[in-house]
Amino acid sequence: MPIVLLALCLEIEYYNKNKFYKVLKENMEELEEKYLISEIIKNPNFEEGKILKETLQDAGKSMLENVDKYKFSQQDYKEYIELWIHEIKMPIATSKMIIENNKNEVTKSIDEEIDKIENYTEQALFYARSNTVEKDYYIKKSNLKEIVNNAILKNKETLIQNNIKIKTHDLDKEIYTDSKWCVFILNQIIQNSIKYSKKENKEIEIYAKEEKEKVILYVKDNGIGIKKGEITRVFEKGFTGENGRINGKKSTGIGLYLCKKLCDKLGISLELNSEKDIGTEVRIVFPKSSFINEALK
Amino acid sequence: MQKILIVEDDIKLREELKKFLDNNGYNTVILENFENSVQGILNENADLILLDINLPYLNGEYILKEIRKVSNVPIIMVTSKDSEIDELLSLNYGADQYVTKPYNIQILLAKISGLLKRTQNIDANQNKIKYNDFVLNVSKSIIEKDEKIIELTKNELKILHYLILNKGKIVSRDEIMNYLWDTESYIDDGTLTVNMTRLRAKLEEIGEKDCIETKRGQGYMLK
Repeated sequence: MPIVLLALCLEIEYYNKNKFYKVLKENMEELEEKYLISEIIKNPNFEEGKILKETLQDAGKSMLENVDKYKFSQQDYKEYIELWIHEIKMPIATSKMIIENNKNEVTKSIDEEIDKIENYTEQALFYARSNTVEKDYYIKKSNLKEIVNNAILKNKETLIQNNIKIKTHDLDKEIYTDSKWCVFILNQIIQNSIKYSKKENKEIEIYAKEEKEKVILYVKDNGIGIKKGEITRVFEKGFTGENGRINGKKSTGIGLYLCKKLCDKLGISLELNSEKDIGTEVRIVFPKSSFINEALK
Repeated sequence: MQKILIVEDDIKLREELKKFLDNNGYNTVILENFENSVQGILNENADLILLDINLPYLNGEYILKEIRKVSNVPIIMVTSKDSEIDELLSLNYGADQYVTKPYNIQILLAKISGLLKRTQNIDANQNKIKYNDFVLNVSKSIIEKDEKIIELTKNELKILHYLILNKGKIVSRDEIMNYLWDTESYIDDGTLTVNMTRLRAKLEEIGEKDCIETKRGQGYMLK
């Protein structure tokens, strides 16, 4: 008789534990954020189960604290970078003003270098912004023509110096985006077109086409182009490819990588076609979702 | 002369900016004391204000709001805060324009003159400039002499206008190109040559053949 009772107890215990672990495994499989598992386990009614739940809870808590520490320090670093960039813009602005008041060959040459400093500074700012989870942009109705003009003006000196022809047309279109971010992205693309231009008859054509659900901005150059096998890799971080190693080009492999990352954040798609020795075409596709348009009206 | 007030705490930058604006025909004054900035700004009674955001004591956005309670004076925010939100905030508080540092000085200049023109209701007549015996009508894009009227293209107008503004000075091709680019005409060297030739031909029609003098290797000058 006691043996039967013992067997029955063991049977019930087995049944309980089996059910508990089965549910645990199922939950774990279904759960996307697996570190939250301790939150959804039911309170077990046997000793090992209780120990397991407590252990998982403690481990999860400690991990979250650890992650928070890094989140904090990253946020802190980003804020410092932003602050630093606002500071550095002051001496850049002052230098440019002094140059403007003292125009000659020497200051003109310094001006070109200051422009480079300005560009690298901007890149650092957007790099910092691209790495944070929080929303750092503001979508509003913007005019594509204004964005393009701003980006061209940032490169005015270099374009004129290098005798690069700029053709713009069909740009008077409304899009919904953060225009500051877009100017930066476009600026990087134009800089690439300048950097990888040929020696003669240099030309960059910028225009837009409106389709049913999107506005596509084309930036087309007749530069040295990209080797076939490398086109798919141009958005990779640090990828410089064959062109990046040509003397004096000083490619960092950051520009396009950053553009792609920012575009992803803004919900814009960035596409690139290129043919070696013929030229490169970059397409920036702005969605014209009726939802966004309605919501922002 | 129109009076521009610079509200900026960086001493070197504001001195250089003042020098530049003075050279471009404005009477520029600097706000030196920020302790009572709102009253200080209003006391200057300027035609236009260039206002920084990060300032000692009170920030520019607050100052802007306070000024707007009593005055409609044109205000351009000039700041290194470059996000879309900052810009929208300032415009909402009543700024007329928003320019980020480091700025393109020609564009700042164009914004200043555009804003002054708009707010001071300069009538169409003042967009006519008399030079030698002919008149350049900027708003109609024509040159007039006696009964003769000749139309200019957008680029020809800009070139002639720029030369007249700089009369007596040698203007380099580079300078003209820069001016055209700043006003959204992206012309190349060849196109500039073509435009100059056409402009000269048009001036010849009204008997001003040698009006634009070529200074070899240096540029052009209006006689």
